[in-house]
Amino acid sequence: MTKTIFHLDLDAFFVSVERILDPSLEGKPVIVGADPSKGRGVISACSYEARKYGLHSAMPINQAYKLCPFGIYLSGNHRDYGRFSHSVKKILEKYAPVIEQASIDEFYMDFTGCSKIYGNLFQFAGTLQKEIWDKLSLPCSIGIGSTRTIAKICSDFNKPKGITYILPGMEKEFLKRLPAEKLPGIGKVTIKNLNAKGFYTLGDIAAFPEDYFITAFGKHGSDLWRKANGEGSGFLNPPAKRKSISKERTYAEDVLDKNEIERTLFDLAGKVCQVLREKNWLTSTVGIKLRYSDFNTLTRAKTIKPTDDDKIIYEETLKLFRNAFTRRVAVRLIGIHLSNFSEFNEQEVLFEDENIVRKKMLRAVTKIRNKYGYSSLKIGTN
Amino acid sequence: MDFKVNSKQLEKLLTKIIPAVPTRTPMTILENFLLEIKSGLLTIYATDMEISLKSSINIVSEKDIKIVVPARMLYETVRSFKDTSIDFTISENKKLILKTSTGEYSFSYIDAKEFPEIPSFPQQENDVDINEFNISGNDLKDAFELTAFAMSKEEMRPAMTGTLISFNEEGIRFVATDGHRLVNMLKTGHQTNINEQYIVPERAITVLLKILDDKEVKVFVNKTHISFVLSDIELISRLIGQKYPDYQSVIPVENEFALKINTKDLLSSIKRMMIFSPSNSRRVKFSINANLVEISAEDVDSGSAGKESIICEYSGDQIDIGFNSSYVSDVLSHLNYEEVYFKLHSSTKAVIINPDKNKENENLMMLLMPVRLNN
Repeated sequence: MTKTIFHLDLDAFFVSVERILDPSLEGKPVIVGADPSKGRGVISACSYEARKYGLHSAMPINQAYKLCPFGIYLSGNHRDYGRFSHSVKKILEKYAPVIEQASIDEFYMDFTGCSKIYGNLFQFAGTLQKEIWDKLSLPCSIGIGSTRTIAKICSDFNKPKGITYILPGMEKEFLKRLPAEKLPGIGKVTIKNLNAKGFYTLGDIAAFPEDYFITAFGKHGSDLWRKANGEGSGFLNPPAKRKSISKERTYAEDVLDKNEIERTLFDLAGKVCQVLREKNWLTSTVGIKLRYSDFNTLTRAKTIKPTDDDKIIYEETLKLFRNAFTRRVAVRLIGIHLSNFSEFNEQEVLFEDENIVRKKMLRAVTKIRNKYGYSSLKIGTN
Repeated sequence: MDFKVNSKQLEKLLTKIIPAVPTRTPMTILENFLLEIKSGLLTIYATDMEISLKSSINIVSEKDIKIVVPARMLYETVRSFKDTSIDFTISENKKLILKTSTGEYSFSYIDAKEFPEIPSFPQQENDVDINEFNISGNDLKDAFELTAFAMSKEEMRPAMTGTLISFNEEGIRFVATDGHRLVNMLKTGHQTNINEQYIVPERAITVLLKILDDKEVKVFVNKTHISFVLSDIELISRLIGQKYPDYQSVIPVENEFALKINTKDLLSSIKRMMIFSPSNSRRVKFSINANLVEISAEDVDSGSAGKESIICEYSGDQIDIGFNSSYVSDVLSHLNYEEVYFKLHSSTKAVIINPDKNKENENLMMLLMPVRLNN
């Protein structure tokens, strides 16, 4: 059966949220990402006004600054973005039988067979778009197609606030004229390769035999050819269970001071454990990631008894760090990685000892931080 | 020939002692029996340093002998003989030689002084610290069988890895707990003037349960050791020298909601629900209403769930409470009564489980801590 897949993409999402929080940003070139004065990082999102200057997401921030020195540069607040993204999801969940959140601002929905309920799906997409705008003031674009890939290309086809519906059977016709880089999954390297071989549009690719691409690009080549021909999967992935929790810090300036890095570890340990306890999980594998200023990166991990205690995680990561930090080179990034989870056992106990009291204390800390924010409470060292 | 024993008689003796021989030990000497003959009495000892067993039979022997012989090798050999007479000879070159009508077998032996010293009761004359009492083998077996399952297997709190024996004017009390469930049993009708309490380690109880019969048991106990003297065997065990948790303070007094339910029905339901319970918490949920309890379990990871209802008698407010199903199963399978009472207060407080009526000389109470339901 032909599937009907929606791809909903929130237009310049971070910028839209910033504008809701500060309406004076309306109509101005707004760039969310790193602070250009620090000279590091990339653009996370930029407004359509900023795009006129040639800016795009993932562009290094100092390059952006050269192109658009009058832009408003914001560092962004992911807590707010998460909140708005969640509200959008809540609206979509009212209608979509199957939903897959691909990222903070992208959703795939399977509306196969739903025209009996919602009528014309093109019109229905408009209603959905309007509801999100009316309730949250967030603009979005929707693409509708028979596969995920088609739907995604469609949502990007007519931005912002666009709706594009490719009727089943018209996929090849639609893709034919598009430049090859419009296909999700084709990056800088592949496009260079394709162009060198004389392929510029998806039509060029579709017209050639599949075997050629298998020989030239392997399995990836076969996928490429099939997608260019409008084939592909219409199956959505149900939300996967989280397999790891990690927090990293990239220093604004590389750090050589061991004590400062250890302080960061303490901080990160508190944060990963907060997430862990919110999920009611225990972790059995704790690891660190250490990146030197020359980008040499190493990871170390260790299996421990299941725990959700900051103190244990901190002590373990500290040991791993002290063993791993052998070079006299400044550190660019330090991170903690937890995996191998099991559920927290909610068994009540007859006799309270120190461990139980501490567990209860940590539960209480988690609740308070959940309500009033992480920094509302700090755990001291005795 | 130094002495002569019937093979079946010796096998019976060794079978009793072999449980004390450790299977894996850094002290290889413990893999041996201490064999002693003193004025016609053959005594075999074995120990793993925590417990020791000794038992004797009468034989005909001119000499007094004390040697250390490999336990499993001797046991396996004697066990494999049919009913026959075995001649034992101690040779000059440190060999113990066994002769039957058809064969000859020899083992190396070690000097008795190599074997660790085994404490003995009550030979120490006028030892004021020794207490003693008598209890029937059946009562002792009953008490340990009922309590042993609740002992903790975690070394973190050593006191809880054993069973507490305490005394008062009503009788002898046996208590075991792992912090999640507790068994508290009073055997009445035993008058003692003992004012102490002792913690018997798990190993002693496991071995005792193998050797106890219905005859009277004489028990001697001092500050560090306890000795159970059965009709034909003596078990001496070290005591756990730790403070037992204050179990009396956790027995709730305000559990006003009472649920009366058929033990077998509930147990068979719990066993089915165990299949559907999550593998780590083993949680099942009891939703108790007047006259009906619904038992349900759900494992989100495997996407399986089950529920069933059992008729009951209940006086109290509607309550939802979670338990570890294997704990409930343990408790119920040790309660040999047609009906049991669950006495509850709230979904996070200890639940009292009682038989509907106690046996004549016994007073039994179990406690079970719930598992939090996070709806």
